[in-house]
Parts: sequence; C-alpha cells; structure tokens
Amino acid sequence: MLAYQLRIAANSLRRTPVLSALLVAGIALGVAVATTFVTTFHVMASDPIPGKSRQLFYVQVDNWTPDRPWDRDRPEEPPDQLSWREVQNLLASDLPARQAASFKANLTVHPESREERPFRALTRVTRPDFFEMFEVPFLYGGPWDAAAEAARSPVVVLGEATNRRLFGGDDSVGRTVRIEDRPFTVLGVVAPWAPRPKFYDVTNGALQDPEELYVPLSLTLEMEIRSAGNTSNWKPWDGEFADFLESESVWLQMWVELPTAQARQEYEDFLAAYVHEQQQVGRLTRPVNNRLRDVREWMTVSEVVPPEAKTMLIIGLLFLLVCSINLIGILLGKFLGRAPEVGVRRALGASRGSVFAQHLVECEVVALLGGAVGLALSTVTLRVLNRLFTEGAERELFTLDLTMLGAGVALALAAGIVAGAYPAWRICRVAPATYLKQQ
Amino acid sequence: MELGPIFRAVMHQKGRFWLVALEVAITLAIVVNCVNLALDLRGKYDRPTGLAEEELITVQVEPYTEELADEDYRDVVRERDLEALRALPGVEAATAISAIPLSGGGSATGRRARGTEDEPSTTPYFVVSSGAVETLGVELVAGRDFTAAELAMRTEDFEGETTPAVVSRAYAEKVFGRPDPIGMVMESSEADSSEYVVGVVDRMPNSWPDYEEAAELSVLMSGRPGDHRRAYYMVRAEPGALDAVFPMLDEAVLGVEPRRIVEVRTLLDQKRETFAANLALVKILSAIIALLVFVTGLGVVGLTSFSVTQRRRQIGTRRALGATQGAILRYFLVENWLVIGLGLALGVGLTYGLNYALAEAAAAPKLGWELLAGGAVVLWAAGLAAALWPALRAARVAPVVATRTV
Repeated sequence: MLAYQLRIAANSLRRTPVLSALLVAGIALGVAVATTFVTTFHVMASDPIPGKSRQLFYVQVDNWTPDRPWDRDRPEEPPDQLSWREVQNLLASDLPARQAASFKANLTVHPESREERPFRALTRVTRPDFFEMFEVPFLYGGPWDAAAEAARSPVVVLGEATNRRLFGGDDSVGRTVRIEDRPFTVLGVVAPWAPRPKFYDVTNGALQDPEELYVPLSLTLEMEIRSAGNTSNWKPWDGEFADFLESESVWLQMWVELPTAQARQEYEDFLAAYVHEQQQVGRLTRPVNNRLRDVREWMTVSEVVPPEAKTMLIIGLLFLLVCSINLIGILLGKFLGRAPEVGVRRALGASRGSVFAQHLVECEVVALLGGAVGLALSTVTLRVLNRLFTEGAERELFTLDLTMLGAGVALALAAGIVAGAYPAWRICRVAPATYLKQQ
Repeated sequence: MELGPIFRAVMHQKGRFWLVALEVAITLAIVVNCVNLALDLRGKYDRPTGLAEEELITVQVEPYTEELADEDYRDVVRERDLEALRALPGVEAATAISAIPLSGGGSATGRRARGTEDEPSTTPYFVVSSGAVETLGVELVAGRDFTAAELAMRTEDFEGETTPAVVSRAYAEKVFGRPDPIGMVMESSEADSSEYVVGVVDRMPNSWPDYEEAAELSVLMSGRPGDHRRAYYMVRAEPGALDAVFPMLDEAVLGVEPRRIVEVRTLLDQKRETFAANLALVKILSAIIALLVFVTGLGVVGLTSFSVTQRRRQIGTRRALGATQGAILRYFLVENWLVIGLGLALGVGLTYGLNYALAEAAAAPKLGWELLAGGAVVLWAAGLAAALWPALRAARVAPVVATRTV
C-alpha cells in the first residue's frame, strides 16, 4: 500500500515540477534554520562527559562572611569556588575514588632557541587525578603520579599545539621545557581535547579555550602562581603570597569522583562534619551550606547555556512553523486543483481515510526531500556560525551529529504534517459527484 | 468603497484568509522580537563610553624576570615606561592602569556612602597613575583630577587612610544620590577601606560593558597599578596619528626593560573582541528577519494568487457588468489590506506573548510599543506590495471569461 502511495506521490510531484520545487525549497529553508539553532542549543546543553557525568561532583563550601551572601541575587548559594585552605583540608580525605582541585594560570614559556621570544601559555594547575577523572586523551606519555605531586616535582604535560610549537609534534616525553625560567620535564602530551562546554571550569564562560600546559598543584606556593580566572574575597588581605593562600579568597575548582550513591552519601556526611569542625574552630562562620552537584546539575546552576542560545532555539522553531504555514496555501491550491481526479477515485470506492492518507504521504515525501536539502544547507550555516563565534579555534564548535540529523528529519516530518494536514483534510471531504458532473 | 462586500467575501472564504492572517501574525511576532533583541545588543555596543575610543591604544606588559617583583624597581620601570611613551611623536598622553576598560577583565569591590546603611554598590575600579583623565579622554564635570602629591603617595602611606577617587556621574548618583559629591566619603561595609571623591566625570565605562546592572559605574583610584606579573598602559594618540604611533609602542617599552612580553592593541579592537558574540548575533538576527519577511511575502503572493485564480469567473462577471480595471485592482488591494490588518491585530497579542516567553526563558529585553507599531506599519506595507502582482493579474481578467463555462 505504501509503495503504491509513494508512486502516486512521485507522479504528482513530477507533474508540477515548479510547484514541487517551491514546496521542497520552503521546507528546506525552514528545516535548515531550525536545525541550525537546535544544534547550537544542543551543543551547549548536552552532557559533555556521558557515562561519567553522574559520578563527578563539584564541591562547594560556604566560607563567606555572615554579614551578606556571596550572590545577592541568589542568597542561598555558596561561593562558586573554594579557597586554598579548604582545598588542602578536603584533599586529605581518602573517601573519593579520585579527586582534583585546579585553577587556570598564565605561565611564561621560554623556548630553547634564542630567536623565539618567551610567550604566555594558558596553564591548568591541577592534581594527577584530573586526567583520569575527565578522560583526557594522551598522545604520548601520561600524567604525573601522586608521588611526584607530593614531591612538588617540576613536571609538565603539554597540549598538542604547544608540543607542535616547541618540539615539532614529536614524542617529547623526557625532554625539558623552561617554564617561568625553571626546567620542567615533559611527562606527556595531550591529544587535541576541547570539551565544549568547558564544564570543569565555567568561571569565565563555558566556551573558553582549553589549557595548553598542565602542572602540579603543589607547585603553587613556591612558584607563587596566581589564578588567571576569577578571584573573589570578602575580606581584603595583605602581605605575601603565603598570606594570600591562608586567606578566605576563593579561586579554585574542586571535583570529586564518587562512583556509587553510598560513596556520595559518605562524602556529604564528611563535608558536613568538616564544616562543623571548622565552625568549632571559628574559621567558618556561616551556617552549613555545602553543595555536591554532579556535572549536569552544576551546568544548570552555573547557567552554562547562554540565554541567547535558548532565544534562537525558540525563534528557529517558530521560523519553521511560519515556513510550514506558508506552504499550506500552496498545497491547498495544488490539491484542490486535482479535485476532479480525486472525485473519480472516490467514486471508484476510495474511502475518505485513504484519500487523506495518500495526500499526507505526498506531503511527507516533499517534507523528506526538503529535509534532506535543509540538512545539507544547515552544514553551511553551521560553518558560518563557527566562523562568527569561534575564530581560530582548533576544533569546530557546532557540528551535526547523529542526534541532530535525527532531529532534522523529525522536524521535516513535523513540518510536513503542519503544512499538509489541513489541505489533505479539505481534499478528502470533496464530494465526488460535483466533480464528476463537470467536464 | 465596497467594504461591506469585501468583508463578506473574506468571511465567506474564511480558511484561506485566516491562513494569511495567521502567517502575518506570527511573522510580526518573530520579526518585532528579533528587531528588539538586535537593537538591544547593538545599542550596548554603540552606547557612548566617554572615552576617546578612536585615539586610544592599550599596551599589556608581562615581565618574565624576577627583578620586577621588587616594588621599588617596578616604580622606576613604570615611570621610565611612561616617559618613553609620552616622548614618542604623535602621543598626546599616557597612563598606567590596573586593567583595560571594555576588555572583560578587571576588578570590582563594594562601596556605600559613609553614614548610610545602604547595600554596598558594585564598584568597578581602576587604579591609575598620573595623566589618567587626560589619557582616557573623559570629561570632568565637577571637582578635579588627582594632584601630583596624591599620585606620589606610596601604598604604605595609604594603609587605613581614606584615599582619593574620581568617579563617574552615574556612580555618584547611585551611591551618593547627587551628581557632585566632592569631598564625600564612600566605604566598604566593614568600614576598613574608604575613598573620598575629588572629581566626577561625565561618563566612564568599566571592564564589563555587557553587564547591564553596573552600566556606567566606574571609579578611578590613584596608586601604582601593575604587579610583577602584568601591567597595562593606555596611550592616547593625537587625532589622526593612531596608525603612526601604534608600531612604535612595543619598542619604546622594550627599550626600557626588554625582559617582558609586550602586546599592543587598539582599544577599538579590544572592544570589538569583547562584543564579538553580540555583534555576530545581530548579524544572525538580521538574516533571520530578512528571510522571514521574504518567505512571508512569498506566502502572501501565493495565497492571493490562488484566491484570484479561484475567482476568475466572479471577476469576469464584474468586469462584464461594467467594473473598471481600476475598481478590480482596488478591490483586491483593499481585501488584502483588510486581511493583513486582521493578521496584524492578531499579531499584537502574539508579539507581546512571545516577548514575555523570551523574557522569562532567555532574559530577552522587554518590548516597547513604538517598535511594535513600526513593525506593524512595515509589514502592512510589505503585504500590500506582495499583493500588488496578483491584484494586477486580477484586474487584467477579461470580461469575456464570464460568458465561458470553462
């Protein structure tokens, strides 16, 4: 039955090529625009680390002043980062399967050759668990181990681009890089890795570039590494860098890996007990206000998806709606123009339902053709968007993956129904007798 | 004008005309909201900052020698840098500053007027050395710039003292409730830091031009900006001399102390980068608006054409009975006018509805009625233009059509 309907649909389309082209173009345009913005939203809102997003938790402790909340607009929220003291205390716990505190900094790299000037590289100062927790892929070598972290070894993991710049892309494990004029040994090179959104550090916006160097967190004090992200405090501090580390300034992100619900509960209890203990000592003065949020929760709370992405999603879908409605008129004309033919079919015994179904199939054939063209068009529009929003990025931000292809097809089919339902209904209600009488 | 018959004809063919009306309504809603959004985004970029944007160049210096960790040496280098920059031909003024306005990076604290119990206001601030007001190009409307004595004070001398500040007028109104709070003091909520106002400038931006709540709130504090990791200078070129001055700046600074990484950019480039995403979005919205009007225009042409074809016999009959071509043309134009008007009336509610939904879901700006009215007028004209071709076709139907049966 379907094959028969498809044949009739194809014939009908061939008989009115211009009209059919117009219909296909209309759907293609609508699908292209809608798919483009569904994709941009999807890229920003999707799970960046499926499979682990429920096991990685962002830790927040409220070390703010009792006089006012950290965020006036959301007074129940604790600060979005932790202080150095908090991090040192919390890292002592062995409850999490893995844990990593980190921050980003700008460190100076001194290339070997005298001709090249020193340059600043974005660095993630972190603990070795970071790499396994976030499934960072390696080209060569691997991260440093816990012993190296404890020993404050001058070791570094390079990003692929920096490895290319300094060593021509070769296996540079074991070689030396001068960072801040100290010799660092390369332990590994990371394959191109740019999770979008950059969920492990959302403090300056979620579409930030990934880091090019990774060094141990334990080097922070002796090298006096300052954060290049946000630093907030409620009490001005003065003195040396060591005093800064003792202050209540927050500038670190901390993630823990808790594979089971029980592990999560244990860690939450540990956090509560820890805060209570700090309150006894007089250091923390606000009521207990801890947070342990998994990746998705943290992304939602930090509003990683820019509101403009939501706006464009709504507008994109409405655009498709307008395109579909536009086609209703054309389809009406086309179908009603064939009323005599339909009248004959009805007279020969076709039911209203089968006439309706057949015309709907015709609409969906047009819709699928339009959808295919629209999806092809959307690859072009997405490329334009990539160029507009992420200049010089290593990897394309907006791409059509399988899910989005499926979404495009679904949107096309939906558009077909919106455009075709009313005309198909009108034509199936045609009284055969009227048209049989006319010549 | 036969409005009665036209209206009845529209009601008779409800389906088709309601389609046009619906299309026009949704198009109005989308177009007006997109224009609203685009104007808001563009407005933030075009808003006058009070700075001499066309003449300002930023110099970012990042030392890689430990020697600059010594504060005294830093002071010497800073003075020498400024001397070298100011000595260049074509340079009108230069200053050292703690961060670059409009760049997205900077510092802010909280201050309220002394003696009040208000919520501390967000206070974006820049620590500046001599020549700041002249370099930035901001206009002093009350009080004065920092004196040489104030600028010469060392950080230790400031300990616990109230230090001088130059504030923007918007900030003065917000914190002190008046545009000229010269001599008045602002302090942190714990009263451990405070500044007294020595001058007020007409307009001054902070580092975050996109952050609407702190728009135009900005404070200059005198001091010794820059630390051993990074320092900034702003250089103002004489009118027209920007391109000549630009390439000389990094050499001038490296001549003083070569063990530094220097990056020179114009303030306008910096501003464009900060607004890049916004400006890109404006382009996208414009494209969508154009496409939408085009598509809806085509739809109106299509439906009106179809309607004409359906009524050929009726038109022929009218012509046979004596109607002129002009009368037929007018008839169809008025009919189209009526239907589009209906659609626009429907669209008003939809537009506000969409605006509300976007404001809730995506923090979109609220809509003003002037924009809606303007949009309606434009779409009405566009719809009329779209109907012109089918209406002309209708007018050319020959009276003899009425006598044929086919």
